[in-house]
Amino acid sequence: MTLTFLLQVAVGGLLMGLIYALVAAGLSLIFGLMDVVNFAHGELLMLAMYATFVVWLATGLDPLLLLIPVALALFALGVAIYHLLMARALSVQFNRGMVQIFVTFGLAIFLRGAAQFTFGSDFKSVSTSLLANRTIDMGGIFVPLPQLAAGLVSLLAFAGLFAIGRTEFGRALEATREDREAVALIGIDRDRIFALGWGLGAAAVGIAGVMLATFYYVSPNVGATFALIAYVTVALGGFGSLFGALVAGLLIGEVEALTALLIEPSLKQVGMFVIYLAVLMFRPRGLFGTL
Amino acid sequence: MQRRVLVVAAFVLAIGGGVARAANDVVIGALYPMTGPNAQVGNDARAAMETAVEIINGNHNLPMLLGKGGGLDKLGGAKVRLIFADHQGDPQKARAEAERLITQEHVVALIGSYQSATAATISQVADRYELPYMSADNSSPSLNQRGLKWFFRTSPHDIMFTQAMFDFFRDIGAKTGRKVKSVALFHEDTIFGTDSSNAQKQMAEAAGIKVAADIRYRGNSPSLSAEVQQIKAADADVIMPSSYTSDAILLMRGMHDVGYAPKAVMAQSAGFAEQAFIDAVGPLAEGVMSRSAFALDSAKARPAIPAVNALYRARNNKDLNDNTGREIAALIVLADAINRAGSMDEDKIRAALIATDIPGDQTIMPWKGIKFDSTGQNIAATPVIQQIKGGAYHTIYPFDVASEDAVWNVGK
Repeated sequence: MTLTFLLQVAVGGLLMGLIYALVAAGLSLIFGLMDVVNFAHGELLMLAMYATFVVWLATGLDPLLLLIPVALALFALGVAIYHLLMARALSVQFNRGMVQIFVTFGLAIFLRGAAQFTFGSDFKSVSTSLLANRTIDMGGIFVPLPQLAAGLVSLLAFAGLFAIGRTEFGRALEATREDREAVALIGIDRDRIFALGWGLGAAAVGIAGVMLATFYYVSPNVGATFALIAYVTVALGGFGSLFGALVAGLLIGEVEALTALLIEPSLKQVGMFVIYLAVLMFRPRGLFGTL
Repeated sequence: MQRRVLVVAAFVLAIGGGVARAANDVVIGALYPMTGPNAQVGNDARAAMETAVEIINGNHNLPMLLGKGGGLDKLGGAKVRLIFADHQGDPQKARAEAERLITQEHVVALIGSYQSATAATISQVADRYELPYMSADNSSPSLNQRGLKWFFRTSPHDIMFTQAMFDFFRDIGAKTGRKVKSVALFHEDTIFGTDSSNAQKQMAEAAGIKVAADIRYRGNSPSLSAEVQQIKAADADVIMPSSYTSDAILLMRGMHDVGYAPKAVMAQSAGFAEQAFIDAVGPLAEGVMSRSAFALDSAKARPAIPAVNALYRARNNKDLNDNTGREIAALIVLADAINRAGSMDEDKIRAALIATDIPGDQTIMPWKGIKFDSTGQNIAATPVIQQIKGGAYHTIYPFDVASEDAVWNVGK
């Protein structure tokens, strides 16, 4: 096994890890804010990928140009989901947590079914884009351009999310997370903060969806493939910690790649779960969790 | 009052209608993945099965078994009716759905099911309730080696398919002087991939071909980049994947991503047979070879193919492929057996299936015919090898039935 070979596998793991991290970021954000695991998170990813595919098919626009519009559309969808579903789920008197979980779970099944009904069950893919099928050779290590771009966009998105965290809105998010009753006393509109939190979380996964669509197939089930990893990423990084999601995403990407290489490819998810269980045993709140 | 009478009348009509239909129709349960990662295959299967029903029930005058006249003549022109069930690719759901079809819907036989892992449970249920399971498109060779009385399979299995691949390697090597010296196996980790790769490993060893890599991966993974890297490092003459659609797409794209152009790819069909695969990877699919039980380009020897393909196309806007071709063939063989039994009694249907002896030219398949051995396997099913050229599969082997010459880059 040569060094180039190891590096190539590590680069593959790194690029995939950045995608995992970005998918997990939105999930972590919503969880941190509302203590709710959004089980429809993978389906939001799937919708963003279909949105990219459909607009590309209809207009021929490069998916990269759709980054902002799709993120905005997903933001609106996130806000709508909060107002139409989550706000109502929040208002029930008993078992509020369970109701919220079931609502997002039902939403996931509905969205997956709606996608299959609307777009059919065929695998689709965006075949032309500025980056499609291009790969650069860096001294024997091949870096596919779409994945590289996705990794860079992921880092930019994280930078943006961190920056938002430093604004007044970000501090309001933080305060709402810590004590949702108290913030009402100082004039913060809790409902609005929750809605924006959902919007932001959905927009983040929207960005991941657009970038993923440049090199990945689109199908009604594609969200499920990524969702499981996103849940582990969030739990590993610490619920509600954006930085944790970034580190955990990268860690999972690398562990997966190295397990596949050194132990056996069919066991690569086992490596990921072993790390997760270890963290659960020794640091239950996750690597960077504060809760 | 009047309204209540209407409701009661409607209810009685509905019940009566249901009973009247059930008394005449031959009801068969079809189990496929209609949702989940392989939903596309399941929905195509549904269109294929409905095409077969259209051929059996309608008046089409096709030069094939049950292609003429409407319905099953020995059952007074009874129509075949299918009830579809979605097993989502999950063996446990497949088991539950099979039981439901038998006990609630009272089907006379089951047919299915794409993934061999689901066929393993469905055929067990069929054996317990003593009614036939017709395997249309499951290719795992172990399925008919479990001593089941009610298992029948029209299609070749992966030992027969793999034999055709290695026969092709031998013959193309002799023809061009460029022999296969090494292969890299790449297979998913359920019964399909495991059985397939075991057969490939044994035959490679028997033929003196080196197995440069044997990569068992987890199906439907988000990424296969580390796996692909191992394939590249092995740099074998032929890559031999046994993969469903999503993994087939990731494999071909992944090899391209790391700057690797394999000399030859010989697929165990499955995902590689799908139009969705060809569309998704575009030019990367060119030159990919796959075994197939069906050959769309064999219309000269099987004159029913163009008309059957047109009927299927009208439903699903796709051409028939390895999977959908086998699904149509299997349902027609099953319906023919029920017709010959002249009864919906399960034992008589089984006896008719055992007595099946259909010449190949009565089907749309390029096989010698259909004749089951004591394990329920069709021993007259003869596979072909196909290659993608211009975005479609063409038969390249056996040479005497080939419609195109093979593009063979091994040893160049």
